[in-house]
Amino acid sequence: MYRDIFKEEHIILRESLKRFVENEIVPHVDRWEEERSIPKEIFKQMGEMGYLGIRHPVEYGGSGGDIFMTLVLAEEIARCRSAGVMAAVTMHTDMASPHLARKGNREQKQKYLTRIISGEIRCGIAVTEPDAGSDVAGIKTTARRNGDSYLLNGSKMFITNGYNAEILFVAAKTSPEAGHRGISIFIVEKDTYGFSAKKLEKMGWLASDTAELTFEDCRIPRENLLGEENRGFYYIMNNFQDERLVISAICVSHAQQAMDDTIAYAQQRQTFGKSLSEHQAIRHKRAAIALQIEAGRQLVYHAARMYAWGLDRSKEISICKAFCAEMINRVAYDCLQIHGGFGYMKEYPIERMYRDVRVWSIGGGATEVMKNDIAKRLNI
Amino acid sequence: MKICVCVKHVPDSAAKITIKGKNQFDESINFILNPYDEHAVEEAVRVKKQVGDSEVIAVSVGKKDAINTLRSALAMGADRAILIKTNIRADSVITSRALKAAIGQDGKPDIIFTGKASIDNEGFQTMYRLAAALNMSVASNVIAFSLDQERVLVECEMEADARGIIDMPLPCVIGTSKGLNKPSYPTLPAIMKAKKKEVKIIDLESLAIEKPMSSIEILELKPAVEERSSKELKGQPEEVVMQLIRVLREEAKVL
Repeated sequence: MYRDIFKEEHIILRESLKRFVENEIVPHVDRWEEERSIPKEIFKQMGEMGYLGIRHPVEYGGSGGDIFMTLVLAEEIARCRSAGVMAAVTMHTDMASPHLARKGNREQKQKYLTRIISGEIRCGIAVTEPDAGSDVAGIKTTARRNGDSYLLNGSKMFITNGYNAEILFVAAKTSPEAGHRGISIFIVEKDTYGFSAKKLEKMGWLASDTAELTFEDCRIPRENLLGEENRGFYYIMNNFQDERLVISAICVSHAQQAMDDTIAYAQQRQTFGKSLSEHQAIRHKRAAIALQIEAGRQLVYHAARMYAWGLDRSKEISICKAFCAEMINRVAYDCLQIHGGFGYMKEYPIERMYRDVRVWSIGGGATEVMKNDIAKRLNI
Repeated sequence: MKICVCVKHVPDSAAKITIKGKNQFDESINFILNPYDEHAVEEAVRVKKQVGDSEVIAVSVGKKDAINTLRSALAMGADRAILIKTNIRADSVITSRALKAAIGQDGKPDIIFTGKASIDNEGFQTMYRLAAALNMSVASNVIAFSLDQERVLVECEMEADARGIIDMPLPCVIGTSKGLNKPSYPTLPAIMKAKKKEVKIIDLESLAIEKPMSSIEILELKPAVEERSSKELKGQPEEVVMQLIRVLREEAKVL
């Protein structure tokens, strides 16, 4: 299927990832959920397999692959039925490290990107604050020049990998009076004096660590400024759209997994003398789920093709994110409904998936923000 | 050392097979490298590393899409590949003759590894026919393999709880089974590298293989129906345990 986008190498990568997920992730997911984090070792294993540097440059250990390989990674890891695992990995691969790959200088890439790709260190991106989420221009964290350093002060909220990551890319105001034109990004190492992280308890994504970060006079060497000073807002916006495409692909794959699990359940569950899947009410519900997933998939693949062709896909990706994040929530609701009382029990994966997917319509750009963006781009 | 690995492009065992017409099925499903052949590729690559200065050539008979399976073998470490392209559904007689001709053209190998069977046809014959055609020693169901200069020592699974140990000379054909090794998943860099490796495509017709006196034709495909029935074991706990062990051993054959 989709032979125009998935060639031999994508098919082999999918097969390789499928087995990796089945053997190295799925058996441990329940434990990682309980422990509230995934072990560092899994990043190293993924690094050895080349999964952490799919589109990163070959000279730093990446594979120089394409966007469709990234989709394969997102689709297959989402099959582990834990969005927490998914979030920890894709934060590292597609939301944080691309900033370094795109804007880092040679020394920064040699020092950090090689180790990110090998899985030796984990990374995250810290933009959101208690009073500024999608409103990036409204962040209050500051970075004041002090000799050959910057002094970082402020706090960040809801930062995925924020507790475990060895390095974070932190957005801060270098020219507070210049609004969005005064934001820069800094590479901050975990053990920097004045930096602290506090784990947050969440409704879902339990295997992923989400943290509140505090910076108190953190001295950041000047060489850790990423790209140009005061250009951070544009870097963030630029990567936002691509990470939203990855999120949309995750939503589609997660929805597919929820549906596959639900079909398997409905086929073996007997009610009123026949299997649940034979009841027309359930068949219609299943068909409705399937068509929503397929619609989401087509939007994702369409936007990915535009990416591959080098076209502006900003509007299409906002449409993807708005649709897929809402779609997975509807699908998870319906799948749990088909499971009946068992779906409410922790022993069934749909219970976790239902909790996990709720945040997709909030994180990475809330649906309302996506709709605003779509309206703006349609000149409505 | 020259090592050949014969691999087959087969439907994924996890895929839902939809029968079309009398004897065809929907081939838009996912196809994979035959799982038994994965052990063959893994062992070939291992032997290559052990011996040094060796070459592993993956060979397949199949449709154009079988090139995906050859790329998988290349990503696992084979050096180059040969696809014997045909749209016919080749049985083990045609397959072994085609393999013999293509391998013969390429130059006789020291060892040929192949899975003991393909998971679609489960003929269990190709390695024997190929070995006979090439006048080589053969062992199948192999779960342990070692090479010492010009001789090969293998352990073969015979029946339950029985293993045969065979000492044989090179060149030879080895039919690999699941216990032999743990196939590795190809890494992404290896997958990217495999894209650049040579795959030679030969049309089956161009090999002009001898037409067999008879061949297998699949008249009809039918879905397999797995029949299950429950069984109640009665008696004292000790008796029930003994019955359960007997059932697991003799009927379920899991002990």
